[in-house]
Amino acid sequence: MTVLDSNSSRSMPPLRAAAIVIFVALGFLLPQLLGGTPVAYSTLTTIAIFAVMCYGVDIVLSYLGEVSLGHTLFWAVGGYAAANLSVKYGLNGWGTAVATIALCIAAAAFLGAVTLRTREFVFSLVTYAAAVVTYEIAFNWDAIGGSDGIVGISALKLPFGFATYVGATQEDLWPVAFALLLLTLAFIARFRRSNLGTRALMVQMNPALATSLGIDQRKVRLAVFMISAPITGLAGWLYAYQRAYVGPDMFETYFLVMMLTAVVLVGRRILLGPLISTAILIIQQNLFSLGGDWNKIVLGSVLTLVLIFWPAGLVGLFRRFRKTTA
Amino acid sequence: MNIAQQIVNGLVLGSGYACIALGWTILLGVARLVNFAHGQLYMLGAFATWYAMTRLGLSYPLAIIFAIVTLAALGALMQSAMMGLVMSQNLTSLMIVTLGLGYVLQGGSALIFGGNPQTLPGTLSRAKVDLGSLWFTWQDVLVLLATLALYGAVWLFTQRTRFGSVIRAVAEDPKLSELFGINARVVYLCVFVFECSAVALGAALVAPRSPILTSMGFNEVIMTFVVVVLGGIGSIGGALAAGLGLGLFIAFFGAFIAQAYTTAAAFAVLLALLVIRPAGLATK
Repeated sequence: MTVLDSNSSRSMPPLRAAAIVIFVALGFLLPQLLGGTPVAYSTLTTIAIFAVMCYGVDIVLSYLGEVSLGHTLFWAVGGYAAANLSVKYGLNGWGTAVATIALCIAAAAFLGAVTLRTREFVFSLVTYAAAVVTYEIAFNWDAIGGSDGIVGISALKLPFGFATYVGATQEDLWPVAFALLLLTLAFIARFRRSNLGTRALMVQMNPALATSLGIDQRKVRLAVFMISAPITGLAGWLYAYQRAYVGPDMFETYFLVMMLTAVVLVGRRILLGPLISTAILIIQQNLFSLGGDWNKIVLGSVLTLVLIFWPAGLVGLFRRFRKTTA
Repeated sequence: MNIAQQIVNGLVLGSGYACIALGWTILLGVARLVNFAHGQLYMLGAFATWYAMTRLGLSYPLAIIFAIVTLAALGALMQSAMMGLVMSQNLTSLMIVTLGLGYVLQGGSALIFGGNPQTLPGTLSRAKVDLGSLWFTWQDVLVLLATLALYGAVWLFTQRTRFGSVIRAVAEDPKLSELFGINARVVYLCVFVFECSAVALGAALVAPRSPILTSMGFNEVIMTFVVVVLGGIGSIGGALAAGLGLGLFIAFFGAFIAQAYTTAAAFAVLLALLVIRPAGLATK
């Protein structure tokens, strides 16, 4: 369950590599396998984008153990950067992506630095407030879209020197979303084994030990927060192209509750956890929707019930179930 | 004379902020708990008052009592559900759980009360008082007086009675306090029920000033954050001073700089303070 005991399959790298290749190929062909309909493509693209969004929060919540309530801010920064720079300055997808990463890191560095010396819940409070305040600014500032937002974002263009990939339809966007998801998963897997990842976990599990080993908890928090921001930001970046519209609704509480629920539903510190949770939640909302207000109640209840009754998530529940039946 | 009017506006706004923030200040200060559903509880308090007056036909004072009792019952339910997390001091999960509960409350309220903005039919908020070129409403006077009275009563209760020290003992170490024969669960339950009743009262008093919406909780809560942190996290006198100070700041900022960015300005003040004095203004 933790990073340390997740390496049991390392003893057979070729088999593991083959398994990963098969899973990646199956994942890429999944919309085809599900019938290749536009609904299959758009639902899976949305799942991929939302999963990437949730991985940003996952890094902070699962590995560092702190609650960032401001990731909707980075999500919106990605969307607004893509919309404004592509519509007003004609930047291609690479340009808007680089701008998204830079802006998200800058915003996270600012918020992280300001809350560096405060108590842990002040960090949550300030990140929450930051999201609400940027919502107000985005709503009132007409230069970046105002209350109407920006309509008619042109198709995503990714030039590769010799050719340009154009993501005009949901089918064209799926490979981009899938690639972004794979990159994110690879990044998280790498982070779990990295120096920073183990330090973050130590700060969460045993702060006294971390301090005695000369780890500056505040610097670890700042670093983890800063690398988490562009992940959620890039998801917002692609979401802008998928919807061809960006507006203040990117700040909705829905996204925040979605991110937190996706992290805790399957179980924290499980690599594929947020992806599976996102898939479950999106399938409920898109295919078995009960209407906006009921969906809110379902999502909020899932989040609350999991944390109160099964803090280890569905995986913990499954383990407990297996233990009692065996 | 515009300056004098802005001072009046500032006191009016500020007493409202302080009134709404009282519950959170107590929860944080004496029980060390955080409640991110506070904004939604404020919204629910306002709608409970509105429902009692327009649908049940109750008078304003009875509607206030209706809102307080409703939210107190809801608070008791919420706290009972969260008791395990509270007793194990799992603050991370607790913050997320309150946020999730707030989201459920928002969805539930939209189902019950509908998505349209409503106005509380207060008679006091239309009774204008003119003093030369200054004006305010009797509702504003009521909010200011009620806020001062509430803060005074709570200060006396927590500082001068045995219950106050019991609550502080539980906040310090729930397990240890149980060794001394204190039932920590009951204390936490009481504090949380108080928080919910206080925010219901605050909402019933402050909400008649502006239209109410079931989605307003998310934004409304920011001013409470700023008041609580500015006031020095849990300091009762500090929160009152911070509320009034923030009200004055917002009134002048709104009148002379930009009405649309008042929340952003309050947030900027908060950030500046966190850099200069990370523990808040009231601490030494």
